[in-house]
Amino acid sequence: MKKILAAAIGAGTLVALGAVGPANAAEGPAQLSVLHGVPGLTVDVYVDDALTLDDFEPGDLAGPLELPAGAYSVAITASDAADASSPAIGPVDLSLEAGKNYTTVAHLTESGDPTATLFTNDIAQTAAGEGRLTVRHVAAAPAVDVLAGGAPVITNLTNPNEQVLNLPAGVVSASVAAAGTTEPLIGPADVDVAEGASTIVYAWGSLEDDNLDLAVQTITGLHSTPNGVPAGVAGLAATNAPGSDGGTWVAIGGAVLAGLALAFTALRRPAAESRR
Amino acid sequence: MKAATKVVGTLIAAFAMLVALSACGVPDGRAADIASPAEETGTRSMHQAPTATPPAVPRRSAALEDNRALTAPPPSRIEIPDLGIDVRVQPVGLDAQGRMGLFDDPSIAAWYQWGSAPASATGSTVIAAHVDSLEYDLLPFARLKDAIAAMPVFVTDAAGTVHAYAVERLEITGKADVDWPAAFDRSGPPRLTLVTCGGEFDDENRRYLSNLVLTATPTGGSE
Repeated sequence: MKKILAAAIGAGTLVALGAVGPANAAEGPAQLSVLHGVPGLTVDVYVDDALTLDDFEPGDLAGPLELPAGAYSVAITASDAADASSPAIGPVDLSLEAGKNYTTVAHLTESGDPTATLFTNDIAQTAAGEGRLTVRHVAAAPAVDVLAGGAPVITNLTNPNEQVLNLPAGVVSASVAAAGTTEPLIGPADVDVAEGASTIVYAWGSLEDDNLDLAVQTITGLHSTPNGVPAGVAGLAATNAPGSDGGTWVAIGGAVLAGLALAFTALRRPAAESRR
Repeated sequence: MKAATKVVGTLIAAFAMLVALSACGVPDGRAADIASPAEETGTRSMHQAPTATPPAVPRRSAALEDNRALTAPPPSRIEIPDLGIDVRVQPVGLDAQGRMGLFDDPSIAAWYQWGSAPASATGSTVIAAHVDSLEYDLLPFARLKDAIAAMPVFVTDAAGTVHAYAVERLEITGKADVDWPAAFDRSGPPRLTLVTCGGEFDDENRRYLSNLVLTATPTGGSE
């Protein structure tokens, strides 16, 4: 298992940098990101006892790793630990399904104890002009409301839970307040809700230690595509030729191909005329 | 003489194949992305001690201020001097039927504002305009059918940058068979996709049966 995972992480890293891949793939590897949301603690992250993230700093996001579907054990240790044998958090068992997208978050519980939570990211396609905003409460703080432009859009969100909104793309001025209040504990801060992307905002840190903050993760490539381009109404540019793909061509050799394209057109023209 | 004929024949055959490849019915480009590198390399031996150098997992700050969206300026003008095309460009979204919305004003071409822009690092910038109108007769984009390979295209964006392209491909495809996910692709190398209508006209329903899709690639000559 360990060998396979190490190889998969190596290969997955290369791929993960480039493409997001099909949003709704029901097959293929799982994608896993890791967010560090425990203030003041630099850690190492072990996956199945293999050191995967060395000296991982609070507020940093790693990944996505592409991993074959299956069960993994994640242990988080102090950054000077020699191995995964005495973790500060975990080990926690993660069951990752093929084609799904996950974020595991090291964070504080409502009462301030370190823990880890696995979230499944919603990567369903978004409607044209919209983006998806997910808010996750991973802070040592009681229930909160999330305000957009001063008005509550998410209410009574508790650690370690999330709420998902599909919104018109744009910038949202967001703040986080204790549930039922409007006095910001965090923010207001501008959050970009990008079209065709999932924007995940984490409220992390500790209310008591006065270090509450926001972290953000973005998953792109969820956009939809227009289903057509209606570009004519009068028929004035219509071809009379039977078969509508006669004009199609591809250039590879610049001028040579242009010449060929012309020759091709010239050759076809008499044939088309004779068929009328 | 015979050899020359053979060469021309080969070229024509190659060309015919290219045409066939570019026509409708090309499998959805996404299908190629499904290959699973993890599986291919999953059995390669990489045994190492747990404390050895960990794999280079991409890592970054998740702070809001470190993750501001970079928005490229929208295109404002498109020119194809060889075809006498010089029109303004404005952003559009979708119409009520989920199609790309176009302007009735023949002097304005439409840019799909949720897709890539000329200065974007990746993807297809899509600009479309009507081929004709009952009021204005034939419109500038009707001349796209006369484009030839390597013909220069210039797109000016709102920042005043002129992006130069060369025509690479022209496809006239039945509307049901156009590969729209490829035309509106936001990944891959930067490119320009011009769309209008073409082919036969359905008089009864007042619509063309095909779309003309022209692809042009950057020549690096932006100024």
